[in-house]
Amino acid sequence: MDEFGMGSHSTNSAYGEVFNGLKDGPTGGKALSVGGSSGGSALAVASGLAHVGIGTDTGGSIRLPAAYMSLVGFKPSYGQISRKGVVPYANSLDTVGIVAKTVPDIWLTYGASAHPIIEILQKPDDNDPTCLTFSSRERIKVAMLRRKAAVLGSKWLLVPSNRRPEKNEVLIPRETRRKLQNRFLSQRKWTRRIGVPLEYNIEEMHPLVRWAWTATLSHLEGLGCEIVPISLPSTRHALSSYYILAPAEASSNLAKYDGVRYGARRDEVADDADGTLYSRFRAAHLGPEVKRRILLGTYSLSAGAMDNYFIQAQKIRRMVQRDFDSVFRMPNPLQEDAELNMDGVDFIVVPTAPSPPPRLRHVKTATPLESYVNDVFTVPASLAGLPAISVPGPRHPDHPWQPEVAVGMQVIGQYGDDYDVLHLADNYLTDFHDPNTLSRTQQTKVMS
Amino acid sequence: MDELDTPVFPAPKALLMQVPCLNLRKAPANGVAAASTVPTSEPNSNVSAFDIAVPGSLPVFQPAVVLPALRAAIVLGCHIEPVSYFDRKHYFYHDQPAGYQITQYYHPFARDGLVTLTSDDGLEAGQEVEVYIKQVQLEQDTARSQEEDEHTTLIDFNRCGQALVEIISLPNLHSPRDAAAYVRKVQSLLYAVDAVTTGMEHGGLRADVNVSVRRRDGDSDRSFEYSGVSGLGRRTEIKNLSTLKGIEDAIKAERDRQIRLLESGGVVQPETRGWSLTHPHETRRLRGKEGEVDYRYLPDADIPPLSFDLDLISHVARSMPPTPAVLVRHLVQHYGLSVKDARILESLDDGERLIYFQEVVAELLSLHDYEVNEINVGKIAVNWVLFEVGSLFSTDESTWSRDKIPAKSLAEIIHQLRKNAITGASAKLILRLIFDGDSRRVSEIIRQEKLMYVGMSPETYETIAKDIMQNHPQEVKDIVEKGKIGKLKFLMGQMMRHPRRSEMSAPEAEKALRRLLLGEKS
Repeated sequence: MDEFGMGSHSTNSAYGEVFNGLKDGPTGGKALSVGGSSGGSALAVASGLAHVGIGTDTGGSIRLPAAYMSLVGFKPSYGQISRKGVVPYANSLDTVGIVAKTVPDIWLTYGASAHPIIEILQKPDDNDPTCLTFSSRERIKVAMLRRKAAVLGSKWLLVPSNRRPEKNEVLIPRETRRKLQNRFLSQRKWTRRIGVPLEYNIEEMHPLVRWAWTATLSHLEGLGCEIVPISLPSTRHALSSYYILAPAEASSNLAKYDGVRYGARRDEVADDADGTLYSRFRAAHLGPEVKRRILLGTYSLSAGAMDNYFIQAQKIRRMVQRDFDSVFRMPNPLQEDAELNMDGVDFIVVPTAPSPPPRLRHVKTATPLESYVNDVFTVPASLAGLPAISVPGPRHPDHPWQPEVAVGMQVIGQYGDDYDVLHLADNYLTDFHDPNTLSRTQQTKVMS
Repeated sequence: MDELDTPVFPAPKALLMQVPCLNLRKAPANGVAAASTVPTSEPNSNVSAFDIAVPGSLPVFQPAVVLPALRAAIVLGCHIEPVSYFDRKHYFYHDQPAGYQITQYYHPFARDGLVTLTSDDGLEAGQEVEVYIKQVQLEQDTARSQEEDEHTTLIDFNRCGQALVEIISLPNLHSPRDAAAYVRKVQSLLYAVDAVTTGMEHGGLRADVNVSVRRRDGDSDRSFEYSGVSGLGRRTEIKNLSTLKGIEDAIKAERDRQIRLLESGGVVQPETRGWSLTHPHETRRLRGKEGEVDYRYLPDADIPPLSFDLDLISHVARSMPPTPAVLVRHLVQHYGLSVKDARILESLDDGERLIYFQEVVAELLSLHDYEVNEINVGKIAVNWVLFEVGSLFSTDESTWSRDKIPAKSLAEIIHQLRKNAITGASAKLILRLIFDGDSRRVSEIIRQEKLMYVGMSPETYETIAKDIMQNHPQEVKDIVEKGKIGKLKFLMGQMMRHPRRSEMSAPEAEKALRRLLLGEKS
């Protein structure tokens, strides 16, 4: 993985680069990037070393490797999975995510309240103050029920709260209510509206990616979904906002690495003669990308720059959240008085990355800024804390499949809508191709 | 000649977290991580992962912190913010493991308080100083460090991460003595509402003082503004003062240093300085501030906002114990005590002596069969409670206990004394007996020890008086012919040495002498 989760290609590591392509080695002409920063987990899953991989997705670090490696990478809503034990990079963005070969594998690990499999990762945790409490999870359920009820035109709304029933509400025993709710929520036949944000159609998008996107949308339309063009105007500022906010939080979270209580052994005097503490130690033991982001973050938090950079980035982040809230049908459970938006969409389907996996030798000559551009489609969902999953996209009939043309498609849902995002991925986006026509070698995702 | 003008910025920190061995009522918990807060002497024995910034540990806010903090803010007259947030203040130092301190910089939970100092608090008569409190905030404590020698510092993380309340005052204090008085007053207010575990002497309260000077006349040295107060000289900070005397001495030392520096043409650098008991006349530079450190305040994204229900705030305010000033006023008005006695009574034994006093008065009122009120009996009761009873405990060097001399017994003794059924000396004797464990009722003791005062008739007094007068003709002459009334006291003394003195009451003896010598009718 990239050191401290900072990187898009899993090459910023003190232990060597992660790469896809055994024959040539990392410096060979053909080796591909596995994506980052959780590229190691993705590679382990792809090569069969592990059934399921865990990583953290701060700006796309699970979804990007999943796209490059033709796997499924799931980032739940922020706060669904406890962050206790996660070495923090940016507390308000870090989300534990799961990478696996198929969506059912993710169900197994994640668990969802409407699914019969017991919850493993997705549950409240007192040790993480940002992990959703039980009552917050109930609120999410209410929002989901409202959406379902509105879509299916249902009159009855069984509210899972401990408040008294209103006038037109029916009071029934809790267990019965719970069963009915779960059954209601797991109703599969309803017309899903898929949003297509115009701002994601950027110039830099690789033609294969654009093809995969349109093919996916046609596929979904063929399965009965409504395709709806939408606008998310703040998208183009989201990447810049992310690269101000994440390094700022990182500069704070990484201040603890001073070698005093843990870390590499100190073999020299700690403080400099003029009283500067730690800087020599930190310079020696932190990688270049990490140092770059710490300095960037420190700068944007400094008194002179704060208003122009950090505060502005926070405002853009708020705008990104509002844009999403305005297009989704389901009300945002985090907002007090959010309303149902009957003209809204249920899911947003966009590519995960603007290109198929690049060659490692190109990555090495790219500037850091050019690397950051890989995150442009994944960052907005991170800023808004929305659930997002990347699944392998359809394969172009004219280009024989090989890892170099792997394209991932991303499904983004409203906050808390994790279950339905997973469900869409599982049932609508895994049957692009009849698996029987794919040969064994075509099914594996790793280059030999 | 420079005037000392020290806008002082004391920021005393009160240790909030309650500890089982000191105060059984509250939960033992750290401010933002659950380690025990028992003050042990073993360094680094009570440390949780978050306290030493182990990567992957997260802060968990402990609700037990909130009530003492609220009480502290309310007693200082602050406005409580319904919602407050936590921020990170970044700086590198070996006592700050995370590289930042969790505090409340932008939105503290309390603001705009006021503490008024008067001569009651140690100021000159008629002087009054208003010290405005800018804000009261919750924050984390740092680790404790100890310099072994110039190359080695030892660090104890036991108290790292514990919740503190920081009280920031405006630069309204203009003398070292005022500053010490202010800290003393804040400490007593916090004690009164049970918002401190221990006092300054055990590290429960620490003060950081900012000191600056400026010339009395002229505009130089007035170019700085701190917390909205302008016209100040550049300030330096003296950290971690833990005694009241230390505060005064440190401020004096720093003031003198700054004046010397300015008078010799130098410039005051913004610095953090330290002071120690071993060198009370100087302050020592700890680290430079380099034009004021930029702390890069960042809202903490892990700890949720702290929001108070308005009902909670008003409930806490209503159910707070009264401040010392209020109690003293009540004692003066309701019981007729002198201010001095009221103050002493209020401050003894954590308020238990005061409660005892009130019980004694209540008992006295129920014993009297004629109309009395609290003021009638208040003064005599307080003398017994403070001085007679008090001295028994202090000579015995034992701690106060209300069960040694039950209020009912003391009331009975006082009642008998007032009825003149026993003499003062007898009363003290009975008190002593009960203190030493005598479990008989007061009336039994009087009867069995034959302490009843059988009043002598006026004629008997006169007989004895004549006796004395015969033995001291010179004094008689002085009184009768030369009007030296002072000699009456001497004759009184002689009468009280008479063998029958335990049956005599001094006022009656005096009356007898006056009748005989001066012809007064009584």
